[in-house]
Amino acid sequence: MAKEMKKEESPFLQIKDLVVEYKSDDQIVHAVNGVSLNLGKGRTLGLVGETGAGKTTIAKSIMRILPDVGAKITGGEIFLDGRNVLELSETEMRKIRGNTVSMIFQDPMTALNPVQRVGDQIAEVVRLHNDEKVNPEKRAKEMLEIVGIPAERYYEYPHQFSGGMKQRVVIAIALACNPDLLLADEATTALDVTIQAQVMDLIGELQKKYNTAMILITHDMGIVAQVCDDVAIIYAGQILEYGSKEQIFDYPTHPYTIGLFGAIPSMSGDEMWLHPIDGLPPDPTNLPEGCPFSPRCQYASDMCRKDGIGFHMTEDGHQCRCCRIEEIKKMKREEDQK
Amino acid sequence: MTPVIEVKNLKKYFPTPHGTLHAVDNVSFKIEKGKTIGVVGESGCGKSTLGRTIIHLHESTGGQIFLDGNDITKLKGKELKKVREKMQIIFQDPYSSLDPRKTIESTIREPFVVSKRYSKSEIEEKTLELMSLVGIDERLRRSYPHELDGGRRQRVGIARALALEPEFVVCDEPVSALDVSIQAQVLNLLKKLQIERGLTYMFVTHDMSVVRHISDDICVMYLGQVVEKCEAKELFARPLHPYTKALLSAIPSTDIHNKTKREILKGEITSPINPKPGCRFAARCPFAVEACHQPQVQEEVSPGHFVTCCRVHEIQKI
Repeated sequence: MAKEMKKEESPFLQIKDLVVEYKSDDQIVHAVNGVSLNLGKGRTLGLVGETGAGKTTIAKSIMRILPDVGAKITGGEIFLDGRNVLELSETEMRKIRGNTVSMIFQDPMTALNPVQRVGDQIAEVVRLHNDEKVNPEKRAKEMLEIVGIPAERYYEYPHQFSGGMKQRVVIAIALACNPDLLLADEATTALDVTIQAQVMDLIGELQKKYNTAMILITHDMGIVAQVCDDVAIIYAGQILEYGSKEQIFDYPTHPYTIGLFGAIPSMSGDEMWLHPIDGLPPDPTNLPEGCPFSPRCQYASDMCRKDGIGFHMTEDGHQCRCCRIEEIKKMKREEDQK
Repeated sequence: MTPVIEVKNLKKYFPTPHGTLHAVDNVSFKIEKGKTIGVVGESGCGKSTLGRTIIHLHESTGGQIFLDGNDITKLKGKELKKVREKMQIIFQDPYSSLDPRKTIESTIREPFVVSKRYSKSEIEEKTLELMSLVGIDERLRRSYPHELDGGRRQRVGIARALALEPEFVVCDEPVSALDVSIQAQVLNLLKKLQIERGLTYMFVTHDMSVVRHISDDICVMYLGQVVEKCEAKELFARPLHPYTKALLSAIPSTDIHNKTKREILKGEITSPINPKPGCRFAARCPFAVEACHQPQVQEEVSPGHFVTCCRVHEIQKI
């Protein structure tokens, strides 16, 4: 299918003030609370945060594959190539899923159908989305070769593949229709490092070739450093810090971001103790008033706990949601001088 | 000083319908009191099996295991039970290693009850003591595992392992399921307990930065064999085995300005069933030659730095 080229003015993916809730019995889980982000063609955005921060929910909202029962997008807009996906009909969404946008799921062991040949699982996407000129089986074999699996293994079943190979099949499915946007949800977390390196390289190559935009959901700062252009640090359903990779890694500003970097054991240092962030992420059914990070933040003041979350943006677009940012910067400078 | 744990040529094979699986093959090392040995390698390399075989959760196929200088390889029954109190394990997954129908308190209390060493009131007191030691609030004593987060559950697992004051603890990927900020809390706790109680750890993990942080010595395993063994600092400063080099270079670095050239391995870990003699890494090794398919010997390249690779000296020159 020929994809229309749209004007390059607005970014390919634009999320504005997204709010998602899950309802269960008498509780409301506030999973995503006002997330806004932009992503251009060929760019990679790293979505970093702890378990339950709302990363996967954001990705699923873009695909509109949140569970029917319980989950609800209660606010915001998601523009994909200029169209608001939240207003599209289910039939229109089906054309988008797997074609314009596709997702690599976290666990390759469960993402594949165990009783269907791997080749057929790739061919299925092609059959659904392409006109008759493309032979699905041929395309599937091509995709297998691209991800480094011999085409003759088309007729095998997932259990005959190792973890790394299964994940490559999942990637082949996701990329079979040359999507414009790829959502990689912890795509390599279940893999060993040497295999992870292979898979990340492969995704990077294909991304370059097809100018695909990618959202990479991960909790591994190392992968973010290697792969992403932009980074969003997400906590309790909000983006606390957002900027280019250089801004986030060289000048982390939000106390949570600083805490995250401090908690990673360094590969070179000989520190006796690590610097964990005290406490636990907040309960999403009962978020604290004000800044969600304030209960764990060493700099929190009454202002943070009451009035909420500040918003600060530098001229070059480095966003940080912290109302004490200037004071903290000053305190840190004084600490450094000592 | 006698090492707390010493294993000599330890082997653990599993029979399978397709042949014998060599999960642990000829592994030898010692751990001194109060030290930590890190065991790293990819999934399926036998690192967990090694830990479990040492504490007799698996029966060893060959070789010897010494605890405080005594051969405990063949112990059975009552004697084994006595020795087991001194060796404990913390499991990887705090979600499946706790009994979902037991309260936190009764999980922690269980080792005391089983040991039959304490009176009821002593057990009560010791349980609370343990809970405060690992940092679990007393108000959570009647909670069930599903009510706790991963970090707290792992603290329960640690409390249970430490109940009978073991000398040696196998930590089998204890922080892999936890988020970084919580992971750091648990790692600090393990270190604090080690210092306070003189514990000896074997730390099994696939996370290289964690192993670097916590270990004194590191063993790198590949398909059941130790390919390299030395001090933690030395391993990261001067990796010698081609597999160790590839493993270290595959770790994504958080340094965004210093993009090191990465050696990406081709292929995947091969099957440990009926392995051929010779280096098991040879199939993926960029330096492999004919001689690599002959049986390999471990060599002490520099004091305390052991490598099993016949081309180690040539590779260094390349």
